[in-house]
Amino acid sequence: MIFFLLLPAIIMFVMSFMRKSKVNNLLAFSSFAILIPIVQLFMLDKPYPILGDYLVADNLNTYVLLVSSIVGIGVTLSLMTLKKHVEISPKSYRKFYRFFATFWIGLIFSILANNMGIYWIGLELATLSTVYMIKTNFTKSASREAWNYMIVGAIAISLVLFGIILIYASAKPILGEEAMNFNLLLAHAKEIQSSFLFEIGFAITSIGMFIKMGFFPMNLWLANVERASYYPVAALFSGILESAVIIGFFRFSEIAKEVNYNHLFIFTFIYTLFTIFIVSFLIFRAKDFIRLFSLSGIEHMALISLFWVSGGVFPALLHFGAHAFLKPALFLSTGVLESNGKYKIDGALRGYKGKRGKIFVFLVSIFLLAIISMPPSPMFFSELYGFSAMLEMAKVDKHILAMIMAILFLLILLSVIFYKFISIYQSMKYDGEESEKEVYATEVFALILFAISLVVLILPTTINYLKGIA
Amino acid sequence: MIDFFIGLFLATLITALFTTRLYRLFLWYSLNSLMLGLLALFMGAKLDDNAMLITGVITILIKAIAIPFILKNMTQKFNLVRQIRPNIQVHYSIILIPVILVFTYYLADPITHMIGTNSNYVAISISSLFLSLLLMMEHKNVSPKIIGFLCMENSLFLLGISATDGMPMLVELGIFFDLLMAIVVINLLFKQERTKI
Repeated sequence: MIFFLLLPAIIMFVMSFMRKSKVNNLLAFSSFAILIPIVQLFMLDKPYPILGDYLVADNLNTYVLLVSSIVGIGVTLSLMTLKKHVEISPKSYRKFYRFFATFWIGLIFSILANNMGIYWIGLELATLSTVYMIKTNFTKSASREAWNYMIVGAIAISLVLFGIILIYASAKPILGEEAMNFNLLLAHAKEIQSSFLFEIGFAITSIGMFIKMGFFPMNLWLANVERASYYPVAALFSGILESAVIIGFFRFSEIAKEVNYNHLFIFTFIYTLFTIFIVSFLIFRAKDFIRLFSLSGIEHMALISLFWVSGGVFPALLHFGAHAFLKPALFLSTGVLESNGKYKIDGALRGYKGKRGKIFVFLVSIFLLAIISMPPSPMFFSELYGFSAMLEMAKVDKHILAMIMAILFLLILLSVIFYKFISIYQSMKYDGEESEKEVYATEVFALILFAISLVVLILPTTINYLKGIA
Repeated sequence: MIDFFIGLFLATLITALFTTRLYRLFLWYSLNSLMLGLLALFMGAKLDDNAMLITGVITILIKAIAIPFILKNMTQKFNLVRQIRPNIQVHYSIILIPVILVFTYYLADPITHMIGTNSNYVAISISSLFLSLLLMMEHKNVSPKIIGFLCMENSLFLLGISATDGMPMLVELGIFFDLLMAIVVINLLFKQERTKI
């Protein structure tokens, strides 16, 4: 099983050494092969051990793996036309594929890990391979941001390891070396005697993961890195890397919930609320697509974390799925939209002729409106269910008034973001001058793939599956 | 003996903070890693833990010998700046470092009460973590920042062996693999920067 899951990435890695340009076309289609073992995983009884006790498939990580693999396929498709939008040497192009493959392998390990150590190793491998992908862009800012990513990413990932060591130390007296195992830790969470040590470990791990997702106080570092690198890197960050980070948060917070739920909730609630507060104003000031989508991604990840700790597993996962499909779709569209000038928002959606052009404009419009939770976007439903989960939780804890105030505050912040996106959409559609622009078939195909995936998210079967995870 | 090595581990890190030459910094990093490796060997022998003994040997081979050697080669190959002046002046560092040590001792106090064995080592590894961060912050050049990152990894390794009596072997090996991967990526970044020039 593990071999078939890694096969597309391995093929990509091996083929990146070949000099023939037609190899890229083959890579785009070979990436679809990852869907076969994932579909098989969906049909198997879970938990299913993929590699002993180290990699175990359950309903949660199979879903996350599917979502991130679809993103991987979409990115591979759009990579076929990268050369037509940006200047990239054939050598750098091949190296980009090589590190993309390494990144993918690291994240498959992270997502499927049932061991804190393996989770960290996969995440670190992915972080390091991203550094080179950023550097593929031969600009001064890309160079600066690659080093910046290397340093800040290393600090974030070190914090995660620091926390893991403390969590391991807190559980080792009862579980021995098995204290690294997520499932065993969850089963024995209530027996952990030094709960303070565990909670400190959890808080440090979470802060490391939050930094990686661009939460407070590191709101702009990810946006700057994504701005400086080529657009597929931003798509990979939002669709795959963040998936691996958030699944780590899900795993650790499930255990923390058993240790002390109130502490977990208050910590995450304050952190995410503060992050959304800062991010909403940064979005209001954003002047280019990449920063806008990147900051909006931070807002989504904060909401997902908040819904998750409020007991809203279903809305958190629905929101996560929608985010994972919408953000890469928009980042990949940015590659086309910015071909005619980097920061040109006015009239960005005008001038696309022919059937392909019309489909592109339609899909980008749909994605832009879906991201601000316009019904019937999955985000509309996830937010509705998410806020309900928060209220339900407050009812039990008898903090209903405080929670209503917090939700109202959140809605005000979300309306600031809503306003900005609507205003940008109008500028893209109605302002500026019209000039003829081109979009390629594989790019439209990638967007269609994301659109279909979004529709599938709100089908009753998917909703039942996600509710089953809860 | 373990106390002696842990003292030297901290001392090498503190000295690295005052270094103004790159090769000397590599030497202090190498000695820092050597102390860590010897510490792991002594602790492994004391606990009769073969995994920790192997980890100690790998630490000495990779971190104390291979990585400083590779970094020195990279410096020559890519003509990196070898004069590295810290942004924080020496007299401020002399005040700042003890403050960090005392601060982390009290910061780690509630944690150290919960760890039965080697509780003071946990405080030292946390202070090493802060000192490594300081090393990253006080330099503008990339090379000392890389050493700061590697020292941070050493501090976490020390925390791993002191707070938990060693992490599982598989995890330790994975961390070593990632460290080597980091060196490959750093090499590529320098290489690409030279290509651009």
